Amino acid sequence: MTLQQPALPATAVARPARRRDRGRLFQEIGMLAPAVVLLTIFLVVPFLLSFWTAMTNQPLVPRPTPVRFIGLTNFLRILKDDLFWTSLWNVSRFTFWVIPVQCGLAFATALLLHQKLPFRNVFRGMFFLPAITSMVVVCVIWGTLFQYPTGPLNQILGFLSAGRIQPIDWLGDPNWAMFSIVLLSAWQAYGFQMIVYLAGLQGIPDELYDAARIDGANAFQRFWHVTMPGLRPTHVFVLVITTIQAFKLYTQVAVLTQGGPKSSTETVVHYMVRTGFEEQKLGLASAVSVILFLIVLVIALLQRQLLRRFDV
Amino acid sequence: MSDLVLSATQMEVKRERSAIGSLRLVQTACILVIALVIISPLFMLLVASLKDDRFQILADMGSFRAFWVSNPTLSNFAEVGNLSGELAYGRYLLNSLIILAATVGAGLIVNSMAGFVLAWGSLRGRALILSLVIALYVIPQESIIMPLVIMVSRAGMTDTFAVQIIPWVASPLYIFLFYQFFAQLPKELFEAAEMDGASVFRIYRSIFLPLSLPALATVSILMGIEAWNQYLWPILVTQTDYARPIAVAIATFFGQDSIYWDRAMAASVLMMLPILALYLAFQRWFVSSFVGSAVKG
Repeated sequence: MTLQQPALPATAVARPARRRDRGRLFQEIGMLAPAVVLLTIFLVVPFLLSFWTAMTNQPLVPRPTPVRFIGLTNFLRILKDDLFWTSLWNVSRFTFWVIPVQCGLAFATALLLHQKLPFRNVFRGMFFLPAITSMVVVCVIWGTLFQYPTGPLNQILGFLSAGRIQPIDWLGDPNWAMFSIVLLSAWQAYGFQMIVYLAGLQGIPDELYDAARIDGANAFQRFWHVTMPGLRPTHVFVLVITTIQAFKLYTQVAVLTQGGPKSSTETVVHYMVRTGFEEQKLGLASAVSVILFLIVLVIALLQRQLLRRFDV
Repeated sequence: MSDLVLSATQMEVKRERSAIGSLRLVQTACILVIALVIISPLFMLLVASLKDDRFQILADMGSFRAFWVSNPTLSNFAEVGNLSGELAYGRYLLNSLIILAATVGAGLIVNSMAGFVLAWGSLRGRALILSLVIALYVIPQESIIMPLVIMVSRAGMTDTFAVQIIPWVASPLYIFLFYQFFAQLPKELFEAAEMDGASVFRIYRSIFLPLSLPALATVSILMGIEAWNQYLWPILVTQTDYARPIAVAIATFFGQDSIYWDRAMAASVLMMLPILALYLAFQRWFVSSFVGSAVKG
């Protein structure tokens, strides 16, 4: 989300002091307390702990030997681990593929549904269905679609190419596995982006289009000089959300490929969970989680900068 | 002269109209193709869940029979929907429903109260708390999950419902959504009630909450989808069937060698239904309020 701080409501700032009586203060504290306490215990504390744990040799199961502070050793070990770099490379590849496929499809669909097509509300609801479908269910569906060699996808490809395209081992071939994950992820999540784009399109005032029409702009010029600039914040938002989501890729990989074949679908979060819970090296896994946080932070800051440049 | 110009524009309009007509046709065709791509996997799931023979399901996959069932049966659902038995998913479904209802219910109360105080309260540190909450939004769940697992296991909370509910009740995003919604309501609402001597909680409870249906709907859908689809957290904190949610149960089932596709499909369909109901009930409010606040910030 673009959580930029909005102005407080004007009234709330200049409230006469005499009304700030004790009873009211207690009530306000009481209403705010549950959220603050929960956020502190379950978000702030573990967040700070992750930095601490990352610099210790903490194992998953408590051992008699005390936990030692080992500084940045964990980070150095991770940066020397080829598998970590493979996982980072894989999520980058994933992002590189999923953005054009997912966002492109979402943008195109939103443009189409923004026209006065028949049943467009039905379509809008329909296209959102995969987005509310659990990723595990999506994996069950696509696990069958990807069956090798006689799954539906291979059959369709064979039919369309009149048998020229050989069946593809979607999830079993290291060259294809990540792309297959891209396909099912884009299918699942694109409904969200489509709705965001639709809202962005609705936010562009009609007067701008009318003015462009009077100036003699054709459909393409109107699209390029009115629609695209009007959608700048939406584009930034969609790109950032998709990138952050992509770097957190986990469930699809855990259910369908376990990082294989040949580490071709290993991802940062999957690597983290394996290090922490299969190898039981919690300190090392926490170091990965700190790195993941830093990546997400950089992307979020980049978004702020972009939005500021576009003067939104 | 002017006649000529007029007829020229008329011709142009006519030409543009027929162009628009064929454009509509192309656009409609495109939408239908996209609809086919998006819907057919879901349709295939539904059809497969109605077939009783698990070998037949895979055999049918290679042909158009994947989209057709000659003698539909609900036996998979009967088997999967049981509360006990080897492949009984009713139990996990029930677990998930409990987790969903409790998380969303508590989340609506806790986050809306906080959002309300941040928007209309008179606490001095309000603005600071608001900026802290917004800053917390950047922390991804994935990067706090390691220490959190240690914390809850030290507290003896593994394998409970509580451990799957309580940590996700309060959320920076939903506090912010409520804050934004409340802040845009007119100040007269607050002032008039205050004049009448209503307490802050009273004003929240009787005036602002009933007006916040769109925000409540949006947060319900978003929290619902999130709680329902959790996967990483429950596999880390549940070891037994006691509180295991359906997502983990289906995934576990997927790892086995001989997959009962028929049951897996039926369980998947069952897993879709509650969240679909939630979405259909609230979608009217969902789009406008969620998207409006998300994009415009």
